[in-house]
Amino acid sequence: MSRLYDTVEPSVIDDEMLRKAVEEQGPKEEAGKIAKQEGVDYCDVLSLRLDFRNILKVDNLWQFTKLTKLQMDNNIIEKIEGMDALVNLRWLDMSFNNIEMIEGLDKLTKLEDLTLFNNRITRLENMDSLPNLHVLSVGNNKIDQLDNLIYLRRFPNLRTLNLTGNPVCDDQGYKLFAVAYLSHLVYLDFRLIDEDTRQKAHSLYENKLGELMHNEKQAEVAIEAEKKAAQELLKHKDAYVEHLNSSVLFESMYKEDPEGMKLALLPGLQDMLKDFQDKFVEVCMKIFEFGMKEYEKRCKEMREFNTCIQDAEAANKKQAVTVIDAFEEYKKKLFTELLVTSDAEVQERKMNEYHEGVNETWDKLMGLEMQLVDQLEETIKDFERNMTDLMSQLVEYIQGLITQVRDLENSHNEKLLEMCMTVLEKVVKNEMDEELPDDLRMLFVDKDTIVNAIGASHDVHLIKIDNREDEIVTRSGAWLSGHMQKIHADECARNRARVVEITNYIDHLRDEIDTQFMP
Amino acid sequence: EYPESYKDNTNKEKLILAYVENYRRQYVHLFRDRKPLFLNPLNECGIEKFVCTTLRPTLLSYKALYHWQGCAEFVADYLTMKQLEPPQELPMCLFSPSTILKRQLGNCFDFSNILCSLLLGAGYDAYVVSGYATKEICLADESRQICPLLQPKKEVLKEAEKPEPRKYTVKPPRDLRSKFIIKMEARRKKEAEEEEKKKQQEEEERIAELEKPPPDALYGLRIHAWVLVRGGKREVPEDFFIEPFTGQSYPPSSPSFLGIESVWNSTNYWANMQNCASGCKDMSFDLMDTEKWEYMLAGSDQTQIEIPDAEEELYDLDDDEKENEDEKHLDMPATWVLPICVTKNQYEMRCPQGKKTTLYKKAKLEKYANYLLKDGLVTRLSVYDNNELTDLKRVQESFENREDKLTTRVHQGGLITEDFVEGRPRSLQQHVYKASNPGPEAERTMTFFHKARNKLRVDGLCKREETPTEMTEHFVNRDDFLFLRHVLFGKRQKKVAPATAEGPPRPILKITEKFHRNDALSASKDVEEQIFIIHEDKIQITYHREDPNITASTRDFYKPPNAEEKGGSLQWSNDMTNTFQVNPHGSPAKNLAIYENLLQLIQTEQKSIQAVRSSEEEVKEILMDRQKEELASELAISVYDTERNEKAKKHRKELERLAMEEKLRRQEMEMDYLAPFLAQIGNPDKISKTQAFKLKEDCLADLKQRLIDKANLIQLRFEKETSELHKRQQDYQQKQVAMTKEDEEQYFNYCSEAMFRIHILELRLNRHKQMAPHKYMQLEQKLRQDPRLSVYF
Repeated sequence: MSRLYDTVEPSVIDDEMLRKAVEEQGPKEEAGKIAKQEGVDYCDVLSLRLDFRNILKVDNLWQFTKLTKLQMDNNIIEKIEGMDALVNLRWLDMSFNNIEMIEGLDKLTKLEDLTLFNNRITRLENMDSLPNLHVLSVGNNKIDQLDNLIYLRRFPNLRTLNLTGNPVCDDQGYKLFAVAYLSHLVYLDFRLIDEDTRQKAHSLYENKLGELMHNEKQAEVAIEAEKKAAQELLKHKDAYVEHLNSSVLFESMYKEDPEGMKLALLPGLQDMLKDFQDKFVEVCMKIFEFGMKEYEKRCKEMREFNTCIQDAEAANKKQAVTVIDAFEEYKKKLFTELLVTSDAEVQERKMNEYHEGVNETWDKLMGLEMQLVDQLEETIKDFERNMTDLMSQLVEYIQGLITQVRDLENSHNEKLLEMCMTVLEKVVKNEMDEELPDDLRMLFVDKDTIVNAIGASHDVHLIKIDNREDEIVTRSGAWLSGHMQKIHADECARNRARVVEITNYIDHLRDEIDTQFMP
Repeated sequence: EYPESYKDNTNKEKLILAYVENYRRQYVHLFRDRKPLFLNPLNECGIEKFVCTTLRPTLLSYKALYHWQGCAEFVADYLTMKQLEPPQELPMCLFSPSTILKRQLGNCFDFSNILCSLLLGAGYDAYVVSGYATKEICLADESRQICPLLQPKKEVLKEAEKPEPRKYTVKPPRDLRSKFIIKMEARRKKEAEEEEKKKQQEEEERIAELEKPPPDALYGLRIHAWVLVRGGKREVPEDFFIEPFTGQSYPPSSPSFLGIESVWNSTNYWANMQNCASGCKDMSFDLMDTEKWEYMLAGSDQTQIEIPDAEEELYDLDDDEKENEDEKHLDMPATWVLPICVTKNQYEMRCPQGKKTTLYKKAKLEKYANYLLKDGLVTRLSVYDNNELTDLKRVQESFENREDKLTTRVHQGGLITEDFVEGRPRSLQQHVYKASNPGPEAERTMTFFHKARNKLRVDGLCKREETPTEMTEHFVNRDDFLFLRHVLFGKRQKKVAPATAEGPPRPILKITEKFHRNDALSASKDVEEQIFIIHEDKIQITYHREDPNITASTRDFYKPPNAEEKGGSLQWSNDMTNTFQVNPHGSPAKNLAIYENLLQLIQTEQKSIQAVRSSEEEVKEILMDRQKEELASELAISVYDTERNEKAKKHRKELERLAMEEKLRRQEMEMDYLAPFLAQIGNPDKISKTQAFKLKEDCLADLKQRLIDKANLIQLRFEKETSELHKRQQDYQQKQVAMTKEDEEQYFNYCSEAMFRIHILELRLNRHKQMAPHKYMQLEQKLRQDPRLSVYF
């Protein structure tokens, strides 16, 4: 209701309004009476109507988590907000308000029907998180650009669209444009799209549409590739060897090493550096391959472990269920017998029998559970031992390889030093043929300086390598302990839950006979 | 009566007979103590014929006859056996297959001859065997054999696959029982079993001893002929015998066949050179082995494939080679017998008169031809408890072509099992009921056709079991996940009032419905079992178990009486329900939800009751249908069956009649308009020009006259009618006042009729006037084109 709100006092969504609305729209008659007696929780309400209430601001709806249908038409709302808690909403009606912009719908991922009729919207936007949208009504707004329709292409389920009363509809080609670009559409502006229009639209926009589709497809492929790469990287990270299949580590050594960069300009060093890099990357590749191999092994081990645990649990559950089923059968029989006998003595005896049976069932169930706990404990121990072995193998081997890397760096360093010494001699004797860059020349002032520079470069490199090694060791260790902890915790939780369940069940059995046959 | 080849021998045949005589003489000379060979018996015309030429490899156009089983069964069924007289001597004659098939009577040589011809035609490596067999075989006495239909099927025992031991499989709980005791127990059990086995074996031996056939005085002397099929061709893995009287196959090691004198087929003849002291057990059937088999024709090549009438081209191709061989060896002359032919009718009738009864050990098998019996019965197998066939145990009847799709019916132990093929209106597959109580509400089991994926019945019912007080229905693939409904009925209350035809339905005491897990719902909301205890106004619900849980939530409702009555709203009180919740910390359900649940359950209960009632109704309807069908016992006739399909026959006759009429009409059309005029001038062979003109003139004049006559006739009638009407009208005007109402009415009737007639006449006259010149022109045209006159125009 787009009336000026300074004439009427706007109302606020408060507890009283909500309670009234819920009560009015809730169950009737006997059910209503019950509802009134025990009160309706807002979190159980499935549909809510707040229309013609002069509401200015959407607020205080956070309790309605199960809400699927919300009607807030004919208010004076200016902004879509405060609905982030309504994640189950499927049907939203905010027509006849003063909304100027589509926003705040990001959390309503299940939304299927959105009505924003008669507002002041100028653009279709901010609806990327609504893949299930089926019906969209944005008539009587201020949308004036045909491009807005292209935005709607992202909704594969959109079947009904209403745009009447927008400036955009005055466009000559509006209808055909909409039909062509939104090929899934069945109803446009209250009318069924006939085959004729569809064909006309298609032939008219064939070329443009083809181009658009081609672009969309390419974008899709790109996104797909990106996703795949990200997944791959995640896998590498799980194997602790990310980026080791390229020269990233090598480059990072030189990135934070100003002396090394300067030295790299020395004549004749390029070839040596190239050689060094090749060897370095080769070892890195080895590390990477080994890491991935070990990762596969670990995954297989874990799968094996999980299936075995599941099997054991399923088998145990089956046994327990048979015990319970047998007892339920017995219980049913006993209760019918108890109903027909009136002899107090027989009743007494039967009751005692029943209680004994309950105790026996408890014994059996708890026995089964204890057995399972023992079995699982042993298996988990085995698993832990194997995993620890695997991990230490991995770490040892990788450390061995990293030592190779370090050796490479050392030998490179020695060579570099040697070379620098000869260059220094030449520089001192002024026999240098080539001109050296100024900052490099600065290093060759005396022996100490150059040795220091080379030493600094070497240190930086070693620190980089050490860091990488440490990272692998700590991360793998942390993962192992974390994973094992989780397994232990899960098992513990499972055990507790089962014991609670059994106790609860046994208590229920004891109560049942007492409530039913209390003298 | 018989063709020439029956009455005489060709030169080649004479030559081969001379060869045969030579062979026989040598044989007798070499083996004086052996019995004569079956070489050249007389045929039906008293002419000597070599046995190999009496075979005629034939492939008949029936699908079943492409396999040896079908051939053997056909021969065994189609012919009536006649034993050899006396049994230890070779017959004097061997008739041609066509004669035997006509007479449907033959001895073992005739049987073997035909069967071997059929098998050779179907591409088997088959031979007629002349030899010795036991009395039972020679007399086709199967009363000591188990009926082939009753032979227990060999069950393939599948060994349960042992799950592969996994690395982390949990260790089984420790077995705390004493190993020693278990061992002793097992030993004791084994001993008892062995004892049992031994006893059983002894018993079996005793029975076998008792059932042994009495000793036969002619043992080993009884002559018999049967068929040998050698492995190699048609994917036959091993040599075997076919006994032609019964169509049964035997391995060569069978003790029933005692010896072999000779074997032959359409290519050659071999005499056996092996010792038959131990029957055919160790005999080699490698006919190329000259140590063991003495052949007659040297040139006859074993590997050559015999395809009658279809090899001419092939012969043409390698004519030269053939000729070379022909020069060296004599080959088998062409067969002298007429082609074997069995008409469709004969083939379908199978046995003489379409009936055949065979006695087996403790069983009797009756066979009938299709469409012979009104109820479509094809075989009836009666199984008895004793050898005298008096103590009936089981009757198994098979039907064919039944309109109600019944295929088998088995009576056993008071139970009748009926099996149907797919295609009945309610997809009934099997119906088991008590013979003593076939009516509704009795013990019965109905199985319905169902498939794993798509259900054939809309309600997904696959099985319904009934007893007088219970009914269990099994379902598959239902959208509501229901898979079982069990109903407990109470006793009918006795009514004082005279019962109607049906009586009130049985009161329902309890309905139990079970559901599969619906993955769309959470387990604690998904009902696994709902029990409506109707006589206690109680509803018990059990929900599915959530995955790691071993207990299931339950909820019981106690309805107030008459809760299902419409109109009145149900009053809620807290003691109407009783709940057990698996998760003690979960929030208890709201009363409102429970109340709504109850309302819904009350509706469901009504629906279930309705479903039960409609099930009962359906059972009644099925039984009624079955009764009707059983009374009508109609047979389905294929639309392609031109002989039996009455409708098609009628249709065909109708078509023929129409064609005939059409022909007649055409003949009329082509009536010769010149004939009378030609007759006037005496039908001359040649017509002169003047004659031709005269003929034409006459013909046209005649037509003109006739047209004028016709016009006059119509005109005359028209005038008559008009004047009559006129008269009546005048009459009427005069007497109008004095007329009675009846007369008046009559007059008006007349008037309208007369007017109608006049109108018709007018129309006809007009049309005639229009048509007359056309007709005239037409005739003129025709006359111009007439071949007899056209010369002159």
